[in-house]
Amino acid sequence: MPAIEVRQLERSFAGGVKAVQGIDLEVAEGEIYAFLGPNGAGKTTTVRMLTTLLKPTAGAATVAGFDVVKQPGDVRRAIGVALQEAALDPLMTGRELMQLQATLHGIPKADAVRRGDALIERVGLTNAADRRVGTYSGGMRRRLDLGTALVHEPTVLFLDEPTTGLDPASRGAIWEEVRKLNSEGTTVFLTTQYLEEADQLADRVGIIDDGLMAAEGTPRQLKAQVGKPRLELSLAEGTHDACEKVLGRFGEPLPPKDGVVVVALEEGAAGIAPIIRALDEAGIVVHDLHLVEPSLDDVFLEKTGRHLEGADTDEQPAPEPEPA
Amino acid sequence: MRGTWLLMRRAINEVIRVPGAAIPGILAPTLFLLGLTAVFGKLTLLPGFSTSDFMAFILPISVMQSATFSGAATGVNLARDIEQGWFDRLYVSPLSRQALLAGHVFSASLRALMPITAVVTIAVIFGVSIQGPDSLLLAVLLAAAFAATVACYATILALHFRTQQAAPLMQAGAFMLVLFTTSYAPLDLLTGWFQEVARYNPVRFIVEGVRQMSVYGVDWTHTWRALAALAFLAVFFGTLAMRGLVRASDPKA
Amino acid sequence: MIQNARVVAALSMRSLRQAFRRPQFLMPIIVFPSLFLTVNVGGAGRATDIPAFPDVAGFLDFELAGAIVQSTMLSAVSGGIALALDIESGFMDRLIAAPIPRTAIVVGRLATTAVMGVIAGVWFVSIGLIFGAEIQGGVPGALLVIVFAAATAAAWGGFGAALALRSGTVSVVQGIFPIVFVIIFLSSAFFPANLLLEPAKSISDWNPMSFIAEGIRDPIVSSISAEPVLEAVAAIAGVMALGALLSIWGLRKRLAT
Repeated sequence: MPAIEVRQLERSFAGGVKAVQGIDLEVAEGEIYAFLGPNGAGKTTTVRMLTTLLKPTAGAATVAGFDVVKQPGDVRRAIGVALQEAALDPLMTGRELMQLQATLHGIPKADAVRRGDALIERVGLTNAADRRVGTYSGGMRRRLDLGTALVHEPTVLFLDEPTTGLDPASRGAIWEEVRKLNSEGTTVFLTTQYLEEADQLADRVGIIDDGLMAAEGTPRQLKAQVGKPRLELSLAEGTHDACEKVLGRFGEPLPPKDGVVVVALEEGAAGIAPIIRALDEAGIVVHDLHLVEPSLDDVFLEKTGRHLEGADTDEQPAPEPEPA
Repeated sequence: MRGTWLLMRRAINEVIRVPGAAIPGILAPTLFLLGLTAVFGKLTLLPGFSTSDFMAFILPISVMQSATFSGAATGVNLARDIEQGWFDRLYVSPLSRQALLAGHVFSASLRALMPITAVVTIAVIFGVSIQGPDSLLLAVLLAAAFAATVACYATILALHFRTQQAAPLMQAGAFMLVLFTTSYAPLDLLTGWFQEVARYNPVRFIVEGVRQMSVYGVDWTHTWRALAALAFLAVFFGTLAMRGLVRASDPKA
Repeated sequence: MIQNARVVAALSMRSLRQAFRRPQFLMPIIVFPSLFLTVNVGGAGRATDIPAFPDVAGFLDFELAGAIVQSTMLSAVSGGIALALDIESGFMDRLIAAPIPRTAIVVGRLATTAVMGVIAGVWFVSIGLIFGAEIQGGVPGALLVIVFAAATAAAWGGFGAALALRSGTVSVVQGIFPIVFVIIFLSSAFFPANLLLEPAKSISDWNPMSFIAEGIRDPIVSSISAEPVLEAVAAIAGVMALGALLSIWGLRKRLAT
């Protein structure tokens, strides 16, 4: 039985805005599934529908085998939720919030205290547990939110942009925790705008743009679809047009990125040398040169014609090309 | 002088640009005027009450309430400016500290004119007689000057607490000063220790001075006492505000 | 059932803690009505000399009911503001995503408001006694006053909650403060009904607030009498029912989005 099943899910808002326009997806038990897309793509709306905070206007979805519309109580019992605007009360202490969450899930007092303290320790907040949440840093709040989502040992965990706005160290800590949870059997559905996060964490990735699924698969599958490595060239001023003419002989030039000319390499790295030679013959000066393997941003680009907004441009620096 | 005028202009602009924002300022005094009259109006049946028109008797309280809220609002705005850093910019400007304070404080007087006018108009509509143009003018001047005094008090709080959270203290504190006077009844008819507090509260004389407009008509005794009390409060709060301003502008380590 | 009670208690405890950790929310409920009481008694205390004034031991005895009623109304609005704050801040999502009955969210909030009513009742009975008032109904009378205060707070709390749920914004709920004062002024909370000026007098005759105030006043100024007490119970029940209906409607609207 899939942990999450979504069929033609739609959500419209007043004023005719269709945030989610009919999406299908499936998440298997024990998977980490990343829902990747730019701001406004419909990620948060989808998560809110799957966590029973919002009713779909069309379509259906089941989570842990329960229908989100017809069996919301059962869904709520099975899922843990850590949302983007961490739903924390700044006047409560971490421990109080954990205990409240446990009570909301019907956990008897003694168990609640034991589990709550264990979770607080697991997310590294033992020292801060009796301080008010209002004094916590952003990273601490996310960790507390994650901890409270686990108090009733859910089988499916929903994380909405869990590391947005965090420093790299905090981000790494959250990733570690997610991997650990997953290894213990928890299915994780996370939304993110960071392709590195999707790339590193997820078993499968669903790319959403403008309310529709653009692509779905394992990171490797998706990148293989896009396939070709590419060459990025920084040129002297004014030579862009001439360069494009030269490159036209080698294949379709891709949209430039921040003033850098990009060309797909049909034959892989072997295609570098002829291009350099051709540019040299045309008298075009190349300041800098990168060989880039496809990334999820490329997948996004190919499917939607745009770069992922706010994408981590984490490319591997190219090995220096050998002059022919 | 010009600096003062510019600061006043800025404070007034805030009101003009968001006219809806002025409504709460008029609503509360009007509500109290009508509400308290409906509730306690029959107090005039008591022997020794200086008038049979209760609304005329408490009109000065509504007028003073308007002045109080304008003064307090100025303090709240100052606290907001401090919170948002705008005030630091002012400090670096060549404006003298006196001009800074004067601009802030007298804008309160100007702002008070609108709710005062509204509340007096409403009272007149409900049958209160104004005891002559001299009494009206005097009442308005006293109230406007009181607004400036309250602004000084609120400024002191703003400079001390540096947060808009002090707003209730500014509003409630000043309003209590106005209420703990001959607000509902003449001095002889007040009860218990409240009577003693009212007896020695300087604001009482200002209230009585404003009351000339609707009850007594202008007479020398009420007038000079009101002016003296006002002068005392103005000097007291003005000096403290000035000192607070100077101290706040000392560069911190 | 027990689980629901646990949830309501936990939510109520949280709201209570919140109220005490944010003292500026607490101030209007105790401090302002106390100051108003002081001014009313100090300024209008001689009213008992007016021939038509009902027979009471002192004006303070009469006026306590007004202060209590005012305090419970302000508690109701504060409760609404706190609920609106939960909605604005997103804390509400945590509650909605949890497997609890939707009504527990509102009941938890109203339970806290009722506790604030108890606090108001105890406070004003106490300072009344300290400053020379007498509770003619004795200990049962004092208890009745406190029970009425709690029930009144919860009853009006339903309106505050409904407004919060429907609007979802703090500033809208804050906007009803003037209306609260109008309702109280147009009743016999602060002054005897027969001595109010028109149109307040006519309005107070059918204003539920008058019946509630008289029910709270009765045990203080005389021994407990059936008519005012029963009328107060009916008025509180009516307000509570209407408040509950509006809250449920507000809750439905908010969850239907």
